[in-house]
Amino acid sequence: MRLVFKNLNILRSIINAISTSVEMKEIVESAGNNLPNLFDFSSFGVFWKEDLLFFLYEEESCPPAFTQEVVNNMLKVFSTLGGESVDADRVVLQTEKRKLRPRQMTMDSTAALKSYLTLPLALEGEILGCISLNSDQPNAFDAQDLQFFSVIGYQMAATLRHFQRFSSVKNMAIYDTLTGLHNRRYFEERLEVEAQKSLHSNTPLSLVMVDIDFFKKVNDTFGHTEGDQVLCKVSSLLKTSVRKKDIVARYGGEEFILILPEARLDETFVMAERIRRLVEETLFEVGKAQVNLTLSLGISNFPSHRVKSKEELMEMADQALYDAKRGGRNRVCIFTGKSTRKTVPA
Amino acid sequence: MARVVKEDKREKRWSSDLVLDLYSNLLAEIWELVSALIGEAILAFLVTLAVRKVGEKYPFLNSLSVSEEGISLDEMREECRIVSPVDIHRGFQSLINQLSHLFSVLAEGVINKELFPKVFPKVKEAERIISPK
Repeated sequence: MRLVFKNLNILRSIINAISTSVEMKEIVESAGNNLPNLFDFSSFGVFWKEDLLFFLYEEESCPPAFTQEVVNNMLKVFSTLGGESVDADRVVLQTEKRKLRPRQMTMDSTAALKSYLTLPLALEGEILGCISLNSDQPNAFDAQDLQFFSVIGYQMAATLRHFQRFSSVKNMAIYDTLTGLHNRRYFEERLEVEAQKSLHSNTPLSLVMVDIDFFKKVNDTFGHTEGDQVLCKVSSLLKTSVRKKDIVARYGGEEFILILPEARLDETFVMAERIRRLVEETLFEVGKAQVNLTLSLGISNFPSHRVKSKEELMEMADQALYDAKRGGRNRVCIFTGKSTRKTVPA
Repeated sequence: MARVVKEDKREKRWSSDLVLDLYSNLLAEIWELVSALIGEAILAFLVTLAVRKVGEKYPFLNSLSVSEEGISLDEMREECRIVSPVDIHRGFQSLINQLSHLFSVLAEGVINKELFPKVFPKVKEAERIISPK
């Protein structure tokens, strides 16, 4: 009876650790650290379908062949349950080696998978992944192990579902649903952060406002569905033209904005000019036609423009964009006060 | 002659209900035992999976209602009025086989070892009902 209470207490702390985890890796580690108090096992695996992630928490003496056998077996079970085969090459495997056994019980290089318990991470009829306990010993698990393991599995599934929901709500809050770029709200939050960082540390920060020239004509001629396709294509060109740390957001309608942290004015100009040329040289398929489009771009920069706030930085980029439009479109303009420096397209 | 046909029909109805009752009890027992081992959510998922698979061959099984509360045959009784007791028996037998297969895929013999002693006599009893001789 005392043993049952002890095990229930361990189970309770595992569940508590899982439910308070904030990311997948933490869930696996919380569970993995406590599982040796409940079961004798060689490895504990978690397969998470959404990101094709496979976490293995295993005895440090686990030979690679055993690891591979565990992965294959778990993916096979998942395929049987999920009705979809998983390409093992696409799965990202993360292994955590720990001392789970006394020295005299280490696994030798020929150790093979002799017994396992695998459970689906299933909630409301949907399978999110699998968890498994694996051993190189035959008949290593019994009905009570299965009971405890299923409770752990249920809590993991519930926590992962919570992550999924939270992440989709978070996505809705920060991404533009049409283009997949960040939305204006996210842009404003990030600009606040980046501007503060720059103003305090005196590091450069650039803003580029981008507008598709004569976009209204596309909508009027080909319809809004085709217009949306153009917006998506331009978004994708913008996204692939910037650095990893840059932020590309849809500002509204056919207007986009780029935050370029630590980018000097000359670097920003080169990047903006490259984007302008890329779009100019791209043939956009609109319905059955192919059309050329151009962009106008306006740049503001700290510290070149001696701004004191993010609002000023925005106003200057907006003014530069206005100048690019007024100057004939298809050009990049840098804010220069009353008159702007501009580049004339080739 | 007409009287004989009537009796046959009554006999058929009677044994269909009996087979359904028997499997209804058996599924309830399986549910009670296995849900204690792996939990209701996973079991409901597995039963749904098994029904989907076996239901292709025995469509009457698709009217089984499965949720985390358990398995209900209420809707199925209507459906089974036109199904022979032998087919009902075969359908449920396939369903239970499929479930056993899934249990062994997940936990090798751990679940089936607990389950088999309960299931086997009931399936035998069903066989006796549909072929008394």
